[in-house]
Amino acid sequence: MNCEEAIKLMDGYLDGELDPIMNQAIEHHLRECHNCDQAYKTQRSLIGAIGNATPYFKAPAELRERIRSSLREETTEQPVRNGVPGAHVVFHKRQPEPRSILSEIPWNWLGLAAAIIFAAIIAFNVVPRSQRPGPDQFLATQLIASHVRSLMANHLTDVASSDQHTVKPWLDAKLDFAPAVVDLSEKGFPLVGGRLDYLDNRPVAALIYQRHKHFINLFVWPAGSDAAGATRAMTRQGYQLFHWVDPDFNYWAVSDINAKELQEFKQLFEEQIPHH
Amino acid sequence: MPRYDANKIAMALPLKTADASQTEDFESDPKIVKFVVVKKREEQAKEELTSFEEAMLPHLDAAHNLAKWLLRNEEDAQDVVQEAYLRAFRSFAGFHGTNGRAWLLTIVRNTSYTLLKKSHAVDVTTSFDEEIHASGHESVSPATLLEHSEDAQLIKEAMDELPAEFREILTLRHQEGLSYKEIADIAQIPSGTVMSRLARARAKLRECLKARIGKEK
Repeated sequence: MNCEEAIKLMDGYLDGELDPIMNQAIEHHLRECHNCDQAYKTQRSLIGAIGNATPYFKAPAELRERIRSSLREETTEQPVRNGVPGAHVVFHKRQPEPRSILSEIPWNWLGLAAAIIFAAIIAFNVVPRSQRPGPDQFLATQLIASHVRSLMANHLTDVASSDQHTVKPWLDAKLDFAPAVVDLSEKGFPLVGGRLDYLDNRPVAALIYQRHKHFINLFVWPAGSDAAGATRAMTRQGYQLFHWVDPDFNYWAVSDINAKELQEFKQLFEEQIPHH
Repeated sequence: MPRYDANKIAMALPLKTADASQTEDFESDPKIVKFVVVKKREEQAKEELTSFEEAMLPHLDAAHNLAKWLLRNEEDAQDVVQEAYLRAFRSFAGFHGTNGRAWLLTIVRNTSYTLLKKSHAVDVTTSFDEEIHASGHESVSPATLLEHSEDAQLIKEAMDELPAEFREILTLRHQEGLSYKEIADIAQIPSGTVMSRLARARAKLRECLKARIGKEK
């Protein structure tokens, strides 16, 4: 150990807070180095003297009494929890709040804090979802993959039928939920069929609609308790995604038709599903 | 809206309340039952208060001393200590540690800093003239310094010049004799920082003392 290290560790050594190995090393150095040993001894007596001479401010007796009475106030003030209704009315009377330092924090600071949080919430919601990575991003990727796969592998439908009364029972039998199935042929979105898929770690229903030469995959699964929010549209890899929820279900429509048509599809679909 | 049958509740109360078994004579009078329940709660609250006071009032001097050094003002120190005891009492149920003094001092420390920051005290951290005093008083020899280091008034004045985090760490170490680990917990700094901060605080205190001794000459 050199002098520099020894000086650095001096306070820890004085306070007996070094580990045994360091302790030995510094002791060894102090035996060898007169200067450091001198510095150590001066420092030790100085700290000892300062410690002894520093005034210790004992609490005045009246502070003890003040605290004890404020604690008593605090206990009588506490409402009876889970008590027999009305009992506390008889036996407890409210006391004024004890003087509190916290209550003196200027409200404008709280206001500022609230404003910052508010701004953060606004910013969070205004920034387009598509620009932020997150669970949505991941889900969108899954949705598109699923859509593309369905068109690719000649596996668009498990049950090919334009009859909603064929598609719905088939899906109901395969799933633990019963999505609404409507035919929108008259509106220019004929039902092609239904398919089982697996998304977001759960089996989902895929309803396939057609728009001219294009297909729309409408993925449906029960709305989670998180109620992950609002209607939104996004574009990914040239595909349009449109998301909405109703009290029962999550909907994700994926297609290569344009955003306006997809939104129209969503509106027609919503108008047609039986409302309870 | 369902309406509760007052009679049914009155009938159910004595049967459902554990305390009621001791009051068989009054079983039919719900008011008596209420009274017993409330009495029990009051006893519980009293017990809680007693155990709190037994655990925490012995550290009142330590609490007051720390607050006084941090705030440098008797009235503020007393207010902070009172507030800290109330806060401690409110969270006493959640305290399962064995080191009541360190726990209480943490609360005193935090409450003091709240007040310091509120009053825009500039000296909470050590950003300012740490280096300024470090030179120019070399003329004061270690022996002279040691001679003066028993002067309580001089030490108080020099201490009061230090930033709060130095006053805090010096008090906790020199006066309360707390370990580095305890100091780290109270001051909310990493254990590894305690030694270096303490060394800086002591060096700064030495310089302040030297400056005062130099002026007196």
